[in-house]
Amino acid sequence: MSDWRVPLTDIAMPEQDVEAVLDCLRSGWLTMGPRTKAFEEALARYVGTPHIVTVSSGTAALHLACQAAALGPGDEVIVPAITFVASASACRYVGAEPVLCDVRSAHDFNVDVEDVARRITSRTRAVIAVHFCGYPANVAALRALCDEHGLVLIEDCAQAIGAHVDASGRQVGTVGELGCFSFFSKKQLCVGEGGMISTADEALDASVRLFRSHAMTSSTWDRHRGHDPAYDVVDIGFNFRLDEPRAALGLSRLQRLDEDIAARRAIARAYRERLAEVPGVELAFDEQAVERASHFAFPVLLAERDTRDRFREELKSNGIQTTWYPALHTFTEYQRFAPADGLPAATEVANRHCALPLSSTMNAADVDVVVDAVHSALAVI
Amino acid sequence: MASTETFPELPLFDLQLQPQDLEAVAETLRSGWLTLGPRTAAFEEAFAAQLGARHAIAVSSCTAALHLAYLAAGVGPGDEVIVPAFTFAATAAAVLYCDATPVFAEIVSRKRPSLDPDDVERSITPRTKAVCAVHYAGYPAAVDRLKVICDKHGIALIEDVAHAPSATLAGRKLGTWGLAGAFSFFSNKVLSVGEGGLLCTDSDEVAAFVRSRRSHAMTSGTWDRHSGRTDTYDVVGLGFNYRLDEPRSALLLSRLQRLEAEIERRRELTLRYRSMLAQVEGIILPFEDTDVPGSSCYVIPIMIDEDGRQAEVSSRMRERGIQTSIFYPSIHRFSAYRERFPDVSLPISELASRTELTLPFYPHMTHEDQDRVVTALAEAVAR
Repeated sequence: MSDWRVPLTDIAMPEQDVEAVLDCLRSGWLTMGPRTKAFEEALARYVGTPHIVTVSSGTAALHLACQAAALGPGDEVIVPAITFVASASACRYVGAEPVLCDVRSAHDFNVDVEDVARRITSRTRAVIAVHFCGYPANVAALRALCDEHGLVLIEDCAQAIGAHVDASGRQVGTVGELGCFSFFSKKQLCVGEGGMISTADEALDASVRLFRSHAMTSSTWDRHRGHDPAYDVVDIGFNFRLDEPRAALGLSRLQRLDEDIAARRAIARAYRERLAEVPGVELAFDEQAVERASHFAFPVLLAERDTRDRFREELKSNGIQTTWYPALHTFTEYQRFAPADGLPAATEVANRHCALPLSSTMNAADVDVVVDAVHSALAVI
Repeated sequence: MASTETFPELPLFDLQLQPQDLEAVAETLRSGWLTLGPRTAAFEEAFAAQLGARHAIAVSSCTAALHLAYLAAGVGPGDEVIVPAFTFAATAAAVLYCDATPVFAEIVSRKRPSLDPDDVERSITPRTKAVCAVHYAGYPAAVDRLKVICDKHGIALIEDVAHAPSATLAGRKLGTWGLAGAFSFFSNKVLSVGEGGLLCTDSDEVAAFVRSRRSHAMTSGTWDRHSGRTDTYDVVGLGFNYRLDEPRSALLLSRLQRLEAEIERRRELTLRYRSMLAQVEGIILPFEDTDVPGSSCYVIPIMIDEDGRQAEVSSRMRERGIQTSIFYPSIHRFSAYRERFPDVSLPISELASRTELTLPFYPHMTHEDQDRVVTALAEAVAR
C-alpha cells in the first residue's frame, strides 16, 4: 500500500523551486558551473564554515572525507553502530577498517564518548561522529578526545543539517576537521541525490575538490570559459560531482531550511507533549537535545523488539508509515565488525525504537491522527 | 597561453532542451518523490528496449557504471584489465577502484583511434580478468574481434559506451557485445542529463549484482518501503550510493524519445563536416564516411598531421572565437599514472594525443557555423 494516511516523510515543492530548476535547464549548462558555486557559497554562510564542497551524495562526502584525511589500509576508524551503513562503508572504500562502538543509551542514540575512548588502539586514526536523527552528538567531548590522541574527527551530519552543537548556535559540521552532509530525498534539505563536505581547512578543501572530479587540474566549466584545453590528472579521483539543476534546487530550498526545521521541531514537541505520559511508549533524548536538533526523524521507544514490531504492524494497518534503523553489527555484511564485548546500548536502541512520521509539511491534525493511532496500537499489543 | 575569461562564440558543445523535457522534470518535482522510483524504472525499461538489452540499470555516472561493471566481472586485487590509454581517465581509474591494475593497450592508428585487438591479445596474461573497449567519438571499436579474443581466453569484455548510445557494429547495438556496457549522460554527451550513467547487461546475475551494489547492497529500497512491500532490510555486501534520482530519470526518458532523430541529424552534419574537412590540408580525418551510419557521431575529432602544433592551432582557433578540446590526453602520460606505471610506451596513442583537436559540434549547429570552423581550421593549420 502506498496510500498512507500519514507517510513517514513528505516534502513541499513550491513553484519557485520548480522554476529554479527549469531556469537552469533552459540555460543549457548542466554541470558544475555558476549555480553549484552559488549553492556552495550560500551553504558556507549557512553552516558558518569557510569551505563547502557539494558532491553527489552523503556517501560520496564520507568517502572523500576519509580520502582527504589520508585514511588507508591498516588504519582503524571508530564508528558508532547506530548509523546508516555508509558511515562504515566509507572507511572501507579507502581500505581502512571500521571499528564499531556503542551509543550512550536507549534514550540517547548518539555515540558514547567513553566507549570510543575504550576502543582507541595504536592503529586508530579517526572517529566518525554521527548526529543521529538530527540530534547533535557530543562533539565537544569527542574533539577533546581526538586532540588528546591525535585523531581526525569526521562528523557525519547526513541527518543533521542545521543542528546546533552548543547553546551559542554553532552548527554541526564545524567541530570536526570534516563534516559530511546529505541532500537525499528524505532529508531536511533535499534535492534527490546529493551531499556536501564542510571544512575550515584549506588543504582538506583542496583535496576534496580535486578528488570529486577525477583529480583533474581543470574542469569542463573552466575550459568552456576559455581556459587552456590541456589538463593533468594528478591522482586517482572519482566522479562525485553534483550537477547544476540539483544545485539550483538546493539553493532555492535552502532559503526555507530554517523555517522547515522550526516546523519539524514544532511537530516533535507536539508529539512529545502528547506522548510524555502515555504508558507503553518512552521518549528519546531530552529538551536540550530537542532545542538543538534539526529533527530528521522522531523516534520513540517500546518495551522490547516484539512489542515494537507489533506496534509498527498496528500503525501500518492504520495507515501510519513508520520505520526503524537497524544497528550495523546486525547486518550480514557487518557482523564481523562487531566487538567481542558486544554493543548493548546500540542493540537495545535498534530493538526498541520506532520512528514516527515527521515532515515539515505535517500539521496538528496529522499529529492527532498519529497519536490516536499510537493509543489504539498500544491498547492491542 | 594565458587563460582568458571569455565564452567562446562557437562552443565545443551546446545543449537545447525542449518544453516537454522541462515539463517532465517539473511534473516529477511536483510529485514530491525524488529518488529511485517509478520514473527511473520507466527510463530503464525504455532504454533497455531501445538497446535490445535484457537489463538497463541507471546509475550516477559512467564512472560508476564502469566501476560496477568491473566488480561484476570479478575484477579484484592482483587482477589486470586491458584498457586503451586514448580515452577519458575514468576507464582506467575504475580499474584502480577495484585494486586491480590497468594494462594500457595501443589504438590501431590515428585514422582509426580505437583499441587494437592485436595489441590486446599480446597484452593478455594469466592475471587478465577483463578488456574494456572504448567506442571513441561514437565509432565502434572492433568488439566483434575483441569478443572472439575474450571468449577464447575466458575473460570478460566490458564496453565503455560513454560516447556511443544507439551506435551499431554489424547491425548490433554497442554495449550489447560484452558482459556489460557503461553509458554516460554527462552534460556534453549525445544523451545528456547533467551527471548520470547506465549499465546494460544481458546477464541476470550481473544485473542483480549491480542493482544491489548501486544502493549499498541493501536488500530493499526506500521506494519498496514507501510502497509497503517491505519493512526493513539487510546489508549483504560492500555497496555504494550510485543511484540516479527521479528528476534526472524523467529528463532522460523525455529526451530518449528524440535520441534517434538527433543522432540522424548528427550523422548528416558529420558527413557535411567530413566532406569539407577532407579538403583541408595538413590534417588526418579519423574514421571513414562509411563508418558514419553506425556511429552516434558524438564529436568531430581531427588530427594535425604535423607533431607539436596542437597548442598553437587550438589557440588560433580560440582567437577566432572557436572552442576546441583534446579528446584525449593519453592516460598513461598523466602524472598520477606516470608515477604508478612509469614504463608504459604507446607511440600511436601518444602521437594521437599530441595532435588531436575536437571541433565544435551539436545537433542544432548551422551550416554557416560549420563553414566558419572549417575555414578557421584550414587557416590555423596552414599558418
